[in-house]
Amino acid sequence: MATVTFAQATRIYPKSERPAVDALDLHIGDGEFLVLVGPSGCGKSTSLRMLAGLEEVDSGAVLIGDRDVTDLPPKGRDIAMVFQNYALYPHMTVEANMGFALKLAGLGRAEISRRVGEAAQILDLGDYLHRRPKALSGGQRQRVAMGRAIVRDPQVFLMDEPLSNLDAKLRVQTRTQIARLVQRLGTTTVYVTHDQVEAMTLGDRVAVLRDGVLQQCEAPGVLYDRPANVFVAGFIGSPAMNVVTGPAVDGGVRLGGAVLPVPRDQLARAAAGTGRVTVGFRPEDVRLVGPGAGVPVVVNVVEQLGADAFLYTKLAAEHTDDVLHPSDVVVRTEPRSAPGQGDELSLAVPEGRLHVFDPTTQRRVD
Amino acid sequence: MTIASDEPQVASIAAPSAPPGPARRPSRLTRNRWGYAYVAPFFVLFACFSLYPFLYTAWISLHDVDLGDVDGAQWVGLANYGELLTSEFFWNAARNTLTIGVLSTVPQLAMALGLAHLLNYSLRGRTFFRVAMLLPYATSIAAATLVFGQLFGRDYGLINAGLEAVGFDRVDWEGGTWSSQLAISVIVIWRWTGYNALIYLAAMQAIPEDLYEAATLDGASRWKQFLHVTIPGLRPTILFTIVVSTIGAVQLFGEPLLFSGNGTTNGGSSNQYQTLGLLMYDQGWTNFHLGQAAATAWAMFLIILVVVGAWALLARRRARAER
Repeated sequence: MATVTFAQATRIYPKSERPAVDALDLHIGDGEFLVLVGPSGCGKSTSLRMLAGLEEVDSGAVLIGDRDVTDLPPKGRDIAMVFQNYALYPHMTVEANMGFALKLAGLGRAEISRRVGEAAQILDLGDYLHRRPKALSGGQRQRVAMGRAIVRDPQVFLMDEPLSNLDAKLRVQTRTQIARLVQRLGTTTVYVTHDQVEAMTLGDRVAVLRDGVLQQCEAPGVLYDRPANVFVAGFIGSPAMNVVTGPAVDGGVRLGGAVLPVPRDQLARAAAGTGRVTVGFRPEDVRLVGPGAGVPVVVNVVEQLGADAFLYTKLAAEHTDDVLHPSDVVVRTEPRSAPGQGDELSLAVPEGRLHVFDPTTQRRVD
Repeated sequence: MTIASDEPQVASIAAPSAPPGPARRPSRLTRNRWGYAYVAPFFVLFACFSLYPFLYTAWISLHDVDLGDVDGAQWVGLANYGELLTSEFFWNAARNTLTIGVLSTVPQLAMALGLAHLLNYSLRGRTFFRVAMLLPYATSIAAATLVFGQLFGRDYGLINAGLEAVGFDRVDWEGGTWSSQLAISVIVIWRWTGYNALIYLAAMQAIPEDLYEAATLDGASRWKQFLHVTIPGLRPTILFTIVVSTIGAVQLFGEPLLFSGNGTTNGGSSNQYQTLGLLMYDQGWTNFHLGQAAATAWAMFLIILVVVGAWALLARRRARAER
């Protein structure tokens, strides 16, 4: 068990000007489950590989516990990693795959087989110990990869998109298994994914990266309720938060001829430079109100999901000149009383449900 | 396979949805007319230049034939083979072929593996090294062997000069049994190492990088990674190169022929490096006994079959054990 610290850790790939990971500062507590999430190319895998020792650290440092491991080879770091493609040794049995690290570490045969046996029992792999990876299903291979990590009893688990090769149903199932397993072992875990649902469900905290820069690192609930900037607001949540920019007027921001109320001081600070304000609101926070009482929109598409229905609406045409990003406004409604395509609606957002951002810096204004 | 699936039973399994109605389908041969037409040129050439000579050699090997009078062949049954088995020349040549084969194949493949491993690292000028490795293979055997003949010369050879410079005695490379076989093996190794290394390199590049990363994290040194990741990943390729170089070794001809320096096929004054290939040539074209030469040719073919079959069996057993 150990903490993990990135201190201004930077990685610049050869022949590249822009750092893949730019001065990453992150402290992961002992036993914490931290998820690195972001779109592809954001540097999340690179960060993980820097921690693993598979990628050089060009400046800054990486610490495991109090130990500076920046220049340590991977095997000196006491970590175990689960790869996206599992990277199981194809010519070794499940047993040999899981025991390989222990064998290299010079452990006795009895000890190896005891530890492999325990791990196999936890992961329900007992019947497959003498099979080769080729003869296993995708889910089983994934469990062997997990087993190979847990027999090591390392200080830190590293997981690089371990579920992305599974089908949707198995992914959800395995997700819960991983959560339970890591909780039971209590080992510090760093987990990389591009899937924000995985990030939200697994992480004690979630770190959002973009273009190699850390955007925000918070507990999933905080990330959802108080995104630090427009990018995080749009990335976390599905369907994404509605983000629009409009002119600041007395009492709020004008949108489609109506005014969304924004508290005075927030409005003043957000609109200071440009006279415009960026606001965001989640689909579930939108209320349908009587005609003339809110933002007029027309329903374009209705998505029925069973538990919810999502309306993809466009602002009524005569008012669109107010809006700098004339994107769809997505609204969640009751599926059984959902309006139909082409219906005209009026939307309102209750006070306190509106996220306010500075349109220049894209940062949150409270 | 084509022949097998023309059988009505197999064909009906292959096409179970065929309606058994009265409308008779054209037979498979007519339906696939164009397919057969397209592959015909190869098989016609194969029949003329491979299959016919192959069978004719077998036929000849059962006769007593003189090179000057092929039409006056006398049927002798298996007498040529019997003679072969009691001929000390045959056993001598077989032994020479085996020792040269082992002396050349084993170091050749081992070195190729090592070279490929080195070239698999991202070196500066990698393309240059890869091309350079293929050069010996692209060189004519005759030219290369003549140069090696000079190097291994007794009186003025560079290698003897070198040996003498560091205090050893001169070696009569061509005259001795081991020395001549070693020299010929060096030529073979020189010529084929690069070729095999490129084959290994191609196979190595197909091994996923994350296996090496996993092994690194598991605490495997470079050497252990080579043993536990590279070698197992190359196993089918290694088998392939073993089979190909075994075939090459049994048929070895050009190198020992040219190594003698005078174009004779007796493989040295006491036949110390006469291979089966040389023996066959000697019997047919020096002593004019075509029947005997044909029997030797067939014996070589059978040796290759047995050796390759043994390798294949070993590989299959291994694969089955792994399943």
